[in-house]
Amino acid sequence: MRIPNFMSGDISRRGFLKAGAAGAALAASSQWSSAYADDPNVLNYLSWPGNADPYLIAEFEKANNVKVKIKEYVGGDQMLAVINQSPPGSFDVVLADAEYMHLLHASDFIEPLDPDDYPLKDFWPEFQKFPLHWFDGQLYGVMTDFGYLGLSYNTDVFKPEEVKSYAAMWSEKAKGKVGFFDWYLPSMGSISLSNGNLPPFDLSEDKFEAVKEKLFTLKPQASGFYTIADIFSSLTNGQAQLVPGIGEWITLGLRLNGVPVDTIIPDEGGLQWTESLSIVKGTPKKDLARKFIQYTTSPEGQVKMATKVDNKKSIPSIAGWKLLNETMPKDAEILRLQLDKPNVMDEYKAKKIQFRQLPSEQSIEDWNDVWSEFKSL
Amino acid sequence: MTDIEASMPPVKAPATERGLFRARYTASPATMPVMLGLPVLAWQLVFFAAPLVFLIVVTFWKVRSFRLEPDFSFDNWTKIIFSVPFQRALAYTGEVAVLCTALTLIVALPAAYTISFRLSQKLRDLAITFLIVPVFSSYMLRIYAWQIVLSPDGIVNSLIRMAGLDGLPLLGGQFALQVGLLTLTLPVAILILVLAFSGIDRNLVEAAENLGCRRSKVILHVLMPSIRNATFLAGSTAFLMSFGDYISPLFMTGSKPPTLSILIVDTVKSGSQWPRASVIGVIMLAILALVFLLANFLGRDRKIQAGGK
Repeated sequence: MRIPNFMSGDISRRGFLKAGAAGAALAASSQWSSAYADDPNVLNYLSWPGNADPYLIAEFEKANNVKVKIKEYVGGDQMLAVINQSPPGSFDVVLADAEYMHLLHASDFIEPLDPDDYPLKDFWPEFQKFPLHWFDGQLYGVMTDFGYLGLSYNTDVFKPEEVKSYAAMWSEKAKGKVGFFDWYLPSMGSISLSNGNLPPFDLSEDKFEAVKEKLFTLKPQASGFYTIADIFSSLTNGQAQLVPGIGEWITLGLRLNGVPVDTIIPDEGGLQWTESLSIVKGTPKKDLARKFIQYTTSPEGQVKMATKVDNKKSIPSIAGWKLLNETMPKDAEILRLQLDKPNVMDEYKAKKIQFRQLPSEQSIEDWNDVWSEFKSL
Repeated sequence: MTDIEASMPPVKAPATERGLFRARYTASPATMPVMLGLPVLAWQLVFFAAPLVFLIVVTFWKVRSFRLEPDFSFDNWTKIIFSVPFQRALAYTGEVAVLCTALTLIVALPAAYTISFRLSQKLRDLAITFLIVPVFSSYMLRIYAWQIVLSPDGIVNSLIRMAGLDGLPLLGGQFALQVGLLTLTLPVAILILVLAFSGIDRNLVEAAENLGCRRSKVILHVLMPSIRNATFLAGSTAFLMSFGDYISPLFMTGSKPPTLSILIVDTVKSGSQWPRASVIGVIMLAILALVFLLANFLGRDRKIQAGGK
C-alpha cells in the first residue's frame, strides 16, 4: 500500500485476495463526501485505500454509533494535495506515512496529541517515542503499523545467500530480471543503501551524484517499472525476479498463494515504512477522532490491522502481539509476530533498518528527475 | 420551446392544419439546421473547447505546496521541452505510433478485403460481429489476457517448452507493446475499411474485370483508390489511439521505456505537477491535430485530382 499510483486501490483488492465484490460495494457506500463535514455521527477519514474495510472499522462504528467515511489517497503527495485543497473541518483523522509527517506539521494541518491519551506504553520501547512522529517534544501521530522494505526475490531462481547484498542486482543472472517498484523513494533508497549511505536519504551532492551513477548502471538489468497492479503479476509470472525497495507487504500475500517469492533485508540494510494516525486541525469532532485512534491502537484494533486480508502488516503494540498470539497463533507465526521466537523486531534490533524519509539535502523534484531520467534511459 | 416559437414568423390566423405546416416548413431552411446544430455546438463548447482552453491556461500556472496557483510563467514549458526524459519519450512514442499505424494497415487492409469480398454474406456478418464485440469489451481485460499468454510462464512459452525449446522473452519490449496496441487499433481499423469496401460500387469491379484486369490490378487501380480516404482515416485513427495509449505501455512493457502518457502520470504523481503534465498534454494534442490535418490534406488532394481528370 505504499504506492503513488492512482490505480492501486481497486486493483490490489481485486488482483489480490477475496475482499471481492461485496467489499467493493461496501467501500462505495463508505465513501467520503464534503457533505459529512459537520455530521456528528460521521468520522471523516483521509487514508490509504482499504482502511475503511468493515473488518477494521465495523466494531468502532457499532460501539460509537457512527459511520466512518473514507477519502482514499494513493501516495503521500496525493494526500497532501487533498488536504491542501479541502476546507478546514473536511477531515477528522488522517493516516499518513512517517516521511510526510513533517510536511503535515509544517503546514499546520495536524493537532498536537496528549501522549497519555494513547496506549504508547504498550508499544515496543523502540516505537514509544518514534522520532518521525514527534516535533519539539510534542506528539503529532500515533503509530498504527509498519513494515520493512528490502530485496524481494524469486526463491526458485535465487538462493537466500545469493541475495545477501544488493550487489545481486548487478549479477549476470539478474540481467533483464530486476523489476522496479515505480516510486523513486524506496527504489533509490535501496541504491543509496547499497552505496553504504547511512542514513540513505541524507546525501551530500557528491554522494547523491554517486547514487545517480550507480542507479544508471542498473539499466541493462531492468525488466520494467511496475505499479502496484503489475508488481504482483510481474513477480508471479517471473517477469521480475529481483525487486529492491519492496517488502513482505507484497511477498507475504503472494507466498501464501503459492508464488515462490521472499524478501530479505540485505547486509547493507533495509528501509522501514511506518503509518500513523493524526487528528486534523479544524475538526469539530476531536473526541471522536481521539477515540478512533485509541481504538486502532488498542490490542483488538492492532490485531485487525495486522491480519487484514489484502495487506498484512507488522504492529507496534506488544499488547497487540500478545492478543494475536492468543487468538490467532497461526497468523502470528506467518507474520513473524511471536514474542518468544525470532520475530520482526530482530532486524530492527540488529540495526539493519533505516527509516524511509524524504530526501533532506535535495528537493523531492531532484530525486524525481533522476528517477524519470533512469526510466527513460 | 420559446426559441422555436421565436424563430418562426408569426402565423397569420386562421391557419388550417396545412397552412401551419407550410408556415413551419418555409421558416425552416435557415433556422432548422442551426437549431439542430446548437446542442452539438454547446456540447463541443462545454466538453471540448472549455477544457482545452483550461488545459492551456493551466500550463502557465504554478504549484506551491501541492496547490495550483494562477500565474503567467513559461517555466513549465521550458522545463518540459528541455527535459531529456520528455524528448526521449516524445521520440519513442512517435516511433511506436508510426510502427503501430503501419502494422495496423498492413494487417487491416487484407483482412478487410477478405471480409468484404471473399466471405459469404453469413460469414461476413459474423466477422463484423466479432469485430464489434471487442470494441465494447474492456481493453484492460484484454491486456491482462495477453499477459497470461505472453508471460515467461505463460501459454506460449509453455507450448514452446513442451516442444523442447527454450522459452522466449515475449513480454516487455516492442513486440509485446505492438501486440497490445494492435488489440486496440485493429478492430476499429478493419471496421472502417470494411465499411469503405462495402460502399464501393460493384459495377466498377465488374467493369474492370470485363476489361481484362487481373485481381491484383483491380485491387490496386480500382479498390485502393476508392477507399483512399478511409485508409487515411483508419491510419490516423490507429495513430491517434496508439500515440495516446497508457494501458499497453504500462502493462505490456512495464513502462520501459516510458511513453508520453506514462510521463503525464509520472509528472502528476510526483509533486502534483498538473501544469507540467498539461504541457505534455497540450503538445500531444497538437501533434495529433497535425497528424489529422495531414491525413485530411492527403485525402482531399486525391479528390481534387480525380475530379480534375
